[in-house]
Amino acid sequence: MAPRFRYLLGELGVGLRRNLLMTVATVVTVTVSLSLLGAGLLTQRQVDIARQLFFQEVEVSIFLSDDISQQQRQSLERALADHPNVEHVQYESKEQAYAHFQEIFSDNESLLEGVSPKILPASFRVSLEDPQQFAEVAGAFRGRPGVDEVADQGQYLDRFFAILNGLRNGAVAIAVLQLAAASALIFNTIRVTAFARREQTGIMKLVGATNWYIRLPFMLEGIVAGVLGALLAGGLLLLASVTILSGVGQQIQFIPIVGTAEVLGVIPVLLVVGAVIAAVSSFLSLRRFLAV
Amino acid sequence: MIKLDHVTKSYKAGATALADISLEVDKGEFVFLVGASGSGKSTFIRLLIKDEEPDTGDIVIAGKRLVGMKNWKVPALRRELGCVFQDFKLLDNKTVAENVSFALEVIGKPRNTINKTVPEVLKVVGLAHKHAAYPHELSGGEQQRVSIARAFVNHPRILLCDEPTGNLDPTTSVGIMKLLDRINKTGTTVLMATHDQHIVDSMRRRVVELEDGRMVRDQRRGVYGYGA
Repeated sequence: MAPRFRYLLGELGVGLRRNLLMTVATVVTVTVSLSLLGAGLLTQRQVDIARQLFFQEVEVSIFLSDDISQQQRQSLERALADHPNVEHVQYESKEQAYAHFQEIFSDNESLLEGVSPKILPASFRVSLEDPQQFAEVAGAFRGRPGVDEVADQGQYLDRFFAILNGLRNGAVAIAVLQLAAASALIFNTIRVTAFARREQTGIMKLVGATNWYIRLPFMLEGIVAGVLGALLAGGLLLLASVTILSGVGQQIQFIPIVGTAEVLGVIPVLLVVGAVIAAVSSFLSLRRFLAV
Repeated sequence: MIKLDHVTKSYKAGATALADISLEVDKGEFVFLVGASGSGKSTFIRLLIKDEEPDTGDIVIAGKRLVGMKNWKVPALRRELGCVFQDFKLLDNKTVAENVSFALEVIGKPRNTINKTVPEVLKVVGLAHKHAAYPHELSGGEQQRVSIARAFVNHPRILLCDEPTGNLDPTTSVGIMKLLDRINKTGTTVLMATHDQHIVDSMRRRVVELEDGRMVRDQRRGVYGYGA
């Protein structure tokens, strides 16, 4: 009896160790994938914050050519005022532009010396109802008689956002791949566990336990791995936010950088994604064992 | 209680396990299903617990039609059936009492019902004093009694036994048969697959004989072989 008992314990130990390794691998994969997903979501959040902030202040500047006639200027001003997306139009004459220029570069004597009101263009400063539509407004006035150039700050923002969007897409793409790997691992771990307990499962089926009754403990095991991974991912993101992000925030003063509050907002999403993916993978993995 | 109507079952390999079986078993009957190994006895039992689906034909058991039964209805069917197998199918890491309670726990019986019925049924099978023992500490006959207790604890209407004495010596087998007979006397229909000639001859119950998947005999108060 003693050798048999030792053999049993040994088997159990092997099973546990094998399963423990699998569980660790699963949790790590879930953590990595959900961290990336969280990073992607935070980048998206960052884009939203920056976009909102920038577009609040974005203006379309319509620079006027020096030879613009009074009539042309008036018709331009009327057209701007009538445009449905224009909130406010302000005319800035050459003198006002010069005063503005002096104000901005008051500490740069040499630059001021080379500039006179003559070489600075007059312009309309146009603020928009919906700043996202700046390209449309800019396009409508570009090339009109008397218009020299239409500058919109949106052009530069577009490039900035393109980079952020690229980063977000990259993070999300890797996250999706990693999530696929994570669900395959959960699938496998649960299958191994179910195989180890197939005797017990067989008896449960024989005496008439319902499939859900049999399934639930296994699914819980998967969900625990998923939720554990999500919590670790949340922890990593929080760590990143208090170390890296707060440092970046101090460097870059002109836009608020996502921080702990946003990370805390993302964690519930990660928990739900982790739990749902684990539940679905475990469910699918058990189908073969529960086939009647 | 059990009704098979022109049931045929063959496996993918092409071998016909059961061919055109029609049979009716009434409530409270005790039926031996005899035949050599490979004659289709186990397939017969597996069809009845809906572990397998017949190719053609119809099966009605405990008032339930098995062909076309939805998967989610299978647990309810199995709660009306008790199953005993040659290899006992006990959980080694659970005690005798735990093995029996397990069958009630997993179908959601309340704790106090379990606490009441498990000692009762262990007394019926004569193992009340071994309730805390583990299966590997028991003899084969005792293990089979535990498995019968587990099959009977929910008071099923039908007890299906697949070679229950297949691993036991003749003396122990007699004890098991006495137990099954007692269970049958409580009104439970018993269907037992066996190739144990001694047992069949001594019990003198209905005998259904299979040969290569075909039913070759259905005899009231029969014996194992012809002419005996």
